[in-house]
Amino acid sequence: MAAVQAAIPGIFKPLRTIGRSTLGALRMVGGVGVFAVRGVVSVFTPPWFPIQLVRQLAAIGFFSLPVVGLTAIFTGAALGLNIYTGGGRFNAEQVMPQIVALGITRELGPVLAALMLAGRVSAAIAAEIGAMRATEQIDAMRTLSTDPFRYLVAPRLLAATLVLPLLTLVADIIGVAGGWLVAVRILDFNSTIYVRNTMNFIQGWDVGSGLIKAAVFGFIVALMGCYHGYNAKGGARGVGRATTHAVVSSAILIFASDYFLTTLFTAA
Amino acid sequence: MGLREQWAETLMGLLVLVLAAGFLVYSLSVGGVGRKPGGYDVTAKFGQVGSLAPGAAVSVAGVKVGTVSEIKLDPKTYLAVTKLTLDPDVKLPSDSTAKVTSDSLLGGVHVAIAPGGAPDDIKPGGEIDNTQGAVDLFGLIGSVMRPQGGAAPAAGETPPAASAATAPDSY
Repeated sequence: MAAVQAAIPGIFKPLRTIGRSTLGALRMVGGVGVFAVRGVVSVFTPPWFPIQLVRQLAAIGFFSLPVVGLTAIFTGAALGLNIYTGGGRFNAEQVMPQIVALGITRELGPVLAALMLAGRVSAAIAAEIGAMRATEQIDAMRTLSTDPFRYLVAPRLLAATLVLPLLTLVADIIGVAGGWLVAVRILDFNSTIYVRNTMNFIQGWDVGSGLIKAAVFGFIVALMGCYHGYNAKGGARGVGRATTHAVVSSAILIFASDYFLTTLFTAA
Repeated sequence: MGLREQWAETLMGLLVLVLAAGFLVYSLSVGGVGRKPGGYDVTAKFGQVGSLAPGAAVSVAGVKVGTVSEIKLDPKTYLAVTKLTLDPDVKLPSDSTAKVTSDSLLGGVHVAIAPGGAPDDIKPGGEIDNTQGAVDLFGLIGSVMRPQGGAAPAAGETPPAASAATAPDSY
């Protein structure tokens, strides 16, 4: 009898681990969900903090422009070269402007801008809020009857959701310009024809669907930064872990939601 | 996070915006999306427009003078009715010919207008009577490469079915 009792924990240890990690994952998903709902509610309900919003718009949006611009121009140029080479295999080099424009506006513009934002902004938000959590500033805020959701989370969520489509628009233009630069400078395309082909080919929905994607990505980036920062535990190391988690989880969520949004948009 | 401490990044951000705006302006001016105001419309009916689409260029002697603004099918005559919006400075003689041609094998299709010699011009809202539709390139290749070889129908006037029936089987 004693032997059986001793055997049970040994046998069930793997099951226990599975159970614990499943419950942990569920708790995490639920936690993010509740956090997101609270965040959205606090975006739409007063009191608002317009100065915080403006500050976040500048930090998230304007100061991301150099990074997004550089990424976009190099990606557009590389994409152009690759499409030219690939198109050359069936004598279709001439379709390069159209494919570059489509690839940038529908897919690469929003995703790359969002990834840059994930690296730059999600980490910064997680570190900032995580440090405030570690130094008990969030508790202090609550003591002073300022809702940390309305003061910290809501402006960041709103700012990122509003600003990423704008960044994506810039990334689209600069990405196409990157392809154009390579085509005209290196591949001997006629500048006017390249631009005209692009402009005649691109439809409003190509750009529009990219911008809708970007708004979703912006929300994800800010949400992950805020969630991981808000729930940071254990001092400086906890803040570091929160930063990593914020970047990694927003990158994964960006790619996953990108696929599902694309199926939605291409089905329509 | 003030603008003053981050002047380098502020400058870079502005630079990126200026570059993007510059390229956008260039694209819009070259791409011919922004149409000149005060253009006038004429219609032209084609038997076959091929892959012609609204927004395609209309040119005289290779110079762009307008765009195709609308394409629809006339349900009675089964002709494609196109509306061409032309530059007001360009007056076309009433016996001009409109022709759907392609820029390259794979490339876009546009409408080329060969001006006639008539003394009177086509009025705004008028019609170009002489038209030539798109050439079906693959149909043409197909008719040249017919296994019957020999007498390819002259300019496609002989119906292929009739010539196939009368031509002696060379195999």
